[in-house]
Amino acid sequence: MKIKKYKVVSSTNLLAKKLRPEPWLIILAEKQTVGYGKKSSRWFSPKGGLYFSIVLPKSKIEDLQTLTILAAFIVAKTIKDNFSLEPLIKLPNDVLLDQKKICGILTENIIGKEVKSSVIGIGLNTNIDKFPKELEDEATSLKIELGKEVDNEKILKQIVEGLKEQLKTISE
Amino acid sequence: MKLKLRIKDREYEVEIKKEEQDKFKIKIGQKEFLFQEEEGEEKISFTRASLPKRDFLKKELLSPIAGIISEIFVKEGEFVKKDQKVLILSAMKMENEIVSEFSGKVKEILVKKDQEVKDGDVLIVLI
Repeated sequence: MKIKKYKVVSSTNLLAKKLRPEPWLIILAEKQTVGYGKKSSRWFSPKGGLYFSIVLPKSKIEDLQTLTILAAFIVAKTIKDNFSLEPLIKLPNDVLLDQKKICGILTENIIGKEVKSSVIGIGLNTNIDKFPKELEDEATSLKIELGKEVDNEKILKQIVEGLKEQLKTISE
Repeated sequence: MKLKLRIKDREYEVEIKKEEQDKFKIKIGQKEFLFQEEEGEEKISFTRASLPKRDFLKKELLSPIAGIISEIFVKEGEFVKKDQKVLILSAMKMENEIVSEFSGKVKEILVKKDQEVKDGDVLIVLI
């Protein structure tokens, strides 16, 4: 697994779109200054969380759509398997714990005559101690739920492997 | 049989397929034509399969997927370059930057912000 690590980026998706590197490269950042979700909504991205984008191989747009939806299941499964928590998937792809958002997923494609590039961005609230007042009621983190820190890199690996596996299955 | 055809500076993907004994189908881009060989004659008649009217010379940007137009970056009358970002189409949590397949002048923008579109709808026409 090839990972490019950054201390701080504007957004891992923005960087991945700009660099257009080889498929399955992972852009990982300790924090994002302008992390965003659908319709440019902000994603709170302080140090401690897991923020990464995966450059996807060129695929059919229908497969990318399926993969995006499956990504939420993979994240939920990773949380459940590792920490015995009961995550809830809010379709198409937010993951909730205790009715609060713990993960957001955003796939961005550049499409001309065909899909030119695709990147899937995942923001997972892992080791975040606390959220600003306006987010307290709607966001949570694994650290808040478990009362201890988790291993970001291990979670990252499990999610990426899960996605690779899924893409292989749906593209066939 | 698949082949690529270049007419002026546009490339077309052409697929020729035998349908039945005396019928065959030619697919050019998104359009399909059915041909039938008439017995005893050299003449070939053809009918166009049920596909929307499209002018091949027109440079049309089509929606690759059903979704909602969330942003439009170009105006009518403006020149766009090939690969220039023209709009964003949101679909099931995917944000799709649509870039122009051609260089040209924007003749018509057929969609508005927040409009729902279907797969294959014409979004923008260039000349």
